[in-house]
Amino acid sequence: MKNEAIIQFKNVTKQYDNDPPVLNDVSFEIEKGKFYTLLGPSGCGKTTILRLIAGFTEASNGEIFFNGKKINDVPANKRQVNTVFQDYALFPHLNVYENVAFGLRIKKMNNIDIDKKVKEALSFVNLKGYENREIREMSGGQRQRVAIARAIVNEPEVILLDEPLSALDLKLRYEMQYELRELQRRLGITFIFVTHDQEEALAMSDEIFVLDQGKIQQSGTPKDIYDEPINRFVADFIGESNILKGRMLDDYLVEFVGKQFECVDQGLDKNEPIEIVIRPEDLEITTLERGKLQVCVDSQLFRGVHYEISCYDKDGNEWLVHSTKAANVGDEIGLYFDPEAIHVMRLGETEEEFDKRLEAYTDGEAGHGK
Amino acid sequence: MENKFTRNIYMVPYALWIALFVIAPILLVLYYSFFDIEGNLSLVNYQKFFTPVYLKMTLSSFWYAFLITLISLIVAYPTAYLLTKTKHKQLWLLLIIVPSWINLLLKAYAFLGIFGTYGITNSFLEVIGIGSQQILFTDFSFIFVSVYIFIPFMILPIFNSLIELNPTLIDAANDLGASKWTTFRRVIFPLTIDGVKSGCQVVFIPALSLFMLTRLIAGNRVITLGTAIEQHFLVTQDWGMGSTIAVFLIIIMFLFMSVTGTRKRGI
Repeated sequence: MKNEAIIQFKNVTKQYDNDPPVLNDVSFEIEKGKFYTLLGPSGCGKTTILRLIAGFTEASNGEIFFNGKKINDVPANKRQVNTVFQDYALFPHLNVYENVAFGLRIKKMNNIDIDKKVKEALSFVNLKGYENREIREMSGGQRQRVAIARAIVNEPEVILLDEPLSALDLKLRYEMQYELRELQRRLGITFIFVTHDQEEALAMSDEIFVLDQGKIQQSGTPKDIYDEPINRFVADFIGESNILKGRMLDDYLVEFVGKQFECVDQGLDKNEPIEIVIRPEDLEITTLERGKLQVCVDSQLFRGVHYEISCYDKDGNEWLVHSTKAANVGDEIGLYFDPEAIHVMRLGETEEEFDKRLEAYTDGEAGHGK
Repeated sequence: MENKFTRNIYMVPYALWIALFVIAPILLVLYYSFFDIEGNLSLVNYQKFFTPVYLKMTLSSFWYAFLITLISLIVAYPTAYLLTKTKHKQLWLLLIIVPSWINLLLKAYAFLGIFGTYGITNSFLEVIGIGSQQILFTDFSFIFVSVYIFIPFMILPIFNSLIELNPTLIDAANDLGASKWTTFRRVIFPLTIDGVKSGCQVVFIPALSLFMLTRLIAGNRVITLGTAIEQHFLVTQDWGMGSTIAVFLIIIMFLFMSVTGTRKRGI
């Protein structure tokens, strides 16, 4: 086992009665000092993972390790983790100071140390001077900070955050994303962040676990997951994408919409049926002659940063294009893209096989002398 | 103008009710309390109240009401807590409330049968070898039956405040290192204290003026303020003294209400 792995799941399953499992044979490792995000739609099992780590629920099967020690039977109050809850779960009968001091008082720390630590934690989250406020007098964003201060004051090795930003308005959410990321860097504590918001996950994480139907679909850095999604679910869930069925003709040659295109993938079986992904921002509007695809503009939305243009080719496939230039609805246009823009996904590939294949590319590229 | 007028119209039945059945009786009681047994205006009743006989009675009323409230609370809190954990909590709650719909007198008579010399309790004690005991007309039977009668009124407000408690707060306390007992002491109990207070109010205040049970179950061995009022009005015909005791009872109730008054806290 790697030394810096602080949390490890080994074949963990969580199942209620005879319902389909919420978590199905999940294994992963969490390293010290990184910002992790568990990302997925509601009901994918991400919060269950958090509750298993915190100790609020027990695994039906499998083992959970913390710093190399099995913690399946360790109760929540004996675990070195603290949670920031979705609804903050601040104690309404205590003021800000006492909320933050709660964990320290239970540890029977003396009042001088408590005072020092509470004030330190509050200044960490920019709430200096709010000590004597009641919780009901605080705004949503401030409550959020109190909840974070209450967690960090205990100096846990891991902080679990259960969709903590979902109740905030958009502007505050963006602000808190920066603050959380900054806080994690300053503290150097492992953060495990649960969200269903892919933008949030991409912006904040060192590592993302994408979950669906109780299984980890893909794990990796935000860039890996965005650029190299393993399957249709990940490609669709993370960002906008054009996903089409195709066929791998040969190394570096792929066929879809009845045409052949140069690509950068290799090592697949000849004539293997595959799916391809092209991100809308990788499609460039050009003239019909220059375009690799010829499409008709169907509709267009102005999104502020870019136009979102929906086009159809003559086979009826929809092509989503993000462009800073506007197009005219009804026009026939050409779409150009680089070979690198095509990402090939094998059907039913596991994460292990996928990683191996990606590594092979790097080796292959090295062999080509690139 | 129109709105204000209609609003006042709606207020009429309520105002009438309060005037006729709350304010008028209190004023009447206050009025009678200033007359002695011969019908002369005097403060003799108030003087009498501060004699050892009545002070002892007041103290004894307090003591029994306190015991009844305390025992009800000790039984009701864990019961309410367990109820919130059951699967069909509303059904269980209903089963606990149903006995309170039965007339108090009927329940008292039922206990006469159960606790009587030839009742099932004594038959049971006989069987297990302890032998027949005098259960009826003791402090024990009085408190037991009173607690039995009042307990649904204690369980209900506590149950409601426990239901309202956000379960994530318990997770949060656990998460911050609190054991089950600490979580109860520092989070669950303080957050359900309003339920406990209103439970205590609805038990303590009626318990202070119990009179029927003192006769039927305690065999007049327990004399409370309620018994004294009843005796003065129905037996000695000293309405003045009865009213004076009632005045003090009303004062005590208001004091108790303000002490246990609920101050709404929370988000």
